[in-house]
Amino acid sequence: MHKEIVIVGMNHRSAPIEVRESVAFEEAYVNDALTRLRSYPTIEEGVILSTCNRVEVVAAASDGRLASTAIKSFLADQKARRHAGDLDEHVYTYLGPDAVRHLFRVAASLDSMVVGEPQILGQLKEYYDVAQKAGTVGTLLHRLFHRSFSVAKRVRTETGIASRAVSVSSVALDLARRIFDRLDDKAVMLIGAGKMGDLMARQLQNNGVQNLMVTNRTFERAVELAERMRGNPIRFEDFPRYLKMADLVIGCTGAPDVLLDVHAVERVLKERKYKAMFFIDIGDRRNFDSRINDLDNVYLYNIDDLKTVSEENLQERANEAQKAEGIVLEEVQSFGRWIESLEQVPTITALRQRFDDIRRGEIEKSLAGSLKGLSEEQKKAVEDMTAAMINKMLHGPTAHLKNNGRSDDDESLLYVAALKKLFNLEEK
Amino acid sequence: MDVWLLKLAALVYLIAAASFITYLFSPNTSISKRSPWILFVGFLFHSAALAAHFFLAGYLNVAQFREAVTVYCWLMVASYLIVQIKYHLTVLGAIIAPLALLMTLAAFAFGRGGEQLPPALQTYWLPVHVTLAFLGNAAFAVAFAVSLIYLLQEHKLKQKKFTSFMKRFPALETLDRLNYVLLVWGFPLMTLGIVTGSLWAGAHWGQYWSWEPRQIASGLVWMFYGALLHGRITAGLRGKKAALLTMVGFFVVLGYFLIGDALFPSRHGGKFE
Repeated sequence: MHKEIVIVGMNHRSAPIEVRESVAFEEAYVNDALTRLRSYPTIEEGVILSTCNRVEVVAAASDGRLASTAIKSFLADQKARRHAGDLDEHVYTYLGPDAVRHLFRVAASLDSMVVGEPQILGQLKEYYDVAQKAGTVGTLLHRLFHRSFSVAKRVRTETGIASRAVSVSSVALDLARRIFDRLDDKAVMLIGAGKMGDLMARQLQNNGVQNLMVTNRTFERAVELAERMRGNPIRFEDFPRYLKMADLVIGCTGAPDVLLDVHAVERVLKERKYKAMFFIDIGDRRNFDSRINDLDNVYLYNIDDLKTVSEENLQERANEAQKAEGIVLEEVQSFGRWIESLEQVPTITALRQRFDDIRRGEIEKSLAGSLKGLSEEQKKAVEDMTAAMINKMLHGPTAHLKNNGRSDDDESLLYVAALKKLFNLEEK
Repeated sequence: MDVWLLKLAALVYLIAAASFITYLFSPNTSISKRSPWILFVGFLFHSAALAAHFFLAGYLNVAQFREAVTVYCWLMVASYLIVQIKYHLTVLGAIIAPLALLMTLAAFAFGRGGEQLPPALQTYWLPVHVTLAFLGNAAFAVAFAVSLIYLLQEHKLKQKKFTSFMKRFPALETLDRLNYVLLVWGFPLMTLGIVTGSLWAGAHWGQYWSWEPRQIASGLVWMFYGALLHGRITAGLRGKKAALLTMVGFFVVLGYFLIGDALFPSRHGGKFE
């Protein structure tokens, strides 16, 4: 009756990408794979999780060790289709509370390559849904996954794990948001056609920027880029004239010389009536004069500044992750209590069974001895009376046990343990 | 009863201040998010205290330090709460709430309460003049808080150093615009406050302008804020400089309010010949 949670899998730390890819489940075949998983007699419930950074099987089984061996061969089977090689050194196995903790950590994005990234929770939900539709989810995994979703939510709201930007372009976006209260009425000028600048301009567009000016030393390139990004191309020699319209300026050229010096920006600023400007310098060499940052209402960040902020934010995330681990631990314990409380239901049945056995034994003995010769009616009366007695006697303890079973407290576990000992229910 | 209510208000302001400061560090906890509501509760007690005092005494003796500070503080909290409704800038409360607490405590510590209102002041002009002048200054107090937050945010952006305590600071543009809005509201109110006071002085003492220290100080502050507003509208004065000047203006007002009357006793300080 008692089931255990088992997780067997590999992630970005335990296995190189080739190995992970070799066992990864293609989306379209997850359903088939679940059916195949379920066909192992030792596995009672199962969910498959397959993302670029991890392949895992979460299962419920009455014998965790047997199940983990089964899952390993299940994964190896998957692999055999592509190419051979030993999986064992790349695979980890978690049983019981360790498995619960692992899943909670995955859901809360503590096990991710970039700690705190938000995608994993969505992926987890998708794979859970697939398994549920395939009918391979039972009470235990149902409860486990739903709990893991709420743990993830709790971690997200109670810690700052995901609150800070870590990629260079999202750091730049974050900074832009600290300077400007809205982006949809701002104009962006992109100087140069570097990949990084492209990426950053796109991120700004995704966040509302509508007016994008693109300039490049070769005008054709600017036109092409502007077309692709729904911007306006500007001739390179003209860009200083348009600068006063730009609130954000992204420099991304490989030019060895400085494109804008502090005096040029000062003039532009005066024309703009000192409205704030944000310069982002992500060229191979410095595109903008670093003294620009000393001007009032102007902010200049180069690629190194952005990287520094990003590293600080990562550090901050790591600190927050410590807090998150505490939350996970707490939740694992409370989940453990819930699993143990499941055992109360068999305890109640066993208790009733035991009392009933005693009752029947005694009635039989009496009917064969001192009460010999009772009429059928009288026999039935004795039967009813003793049954009612047992019922009345057990009513209190049963109700108490059932009520307590709903809350995950230590007290109810104590009662279960006491009952088992006092009435010798363990042998069942 | 009114003193008892004011003490209660001070206590709630203390709780609100603590809650707002918690908000700076962990803006997501359920209590810190409700900081403006805590402040609002304090404001209700504060309002009740003023109302009780008014009904018991029949007037508010704003020529006395205690009542003046109490009324001013009340208007400042009201101004903040209005700004909060429209802009949702909870961080501002981290400055306003402690300021409200300090003012209320100062009212108890240095205030001499319970004096009779001189007959010259028992007129409808008094509440009008004082309310307008105080409202203008209350707007500047909120502008002071806005400017302080602006300068902190600006400093961080220039230094390129961020701490978790900065997480919920609003955008510079938002703060600068709000600073301007408060100036646009505060300046005409202050002007009306000076005009009504002067008209009343003319009616009572036959002299519209008597060059007494408070009037001179108010005139200077009025010119200062006028120049600031003018600069903002015509010369592109904005951002850091505007924030600094706003703070300077408020310090002058606050300084005069706190020590000016003690140094230069005058009608405003309770001397009525």
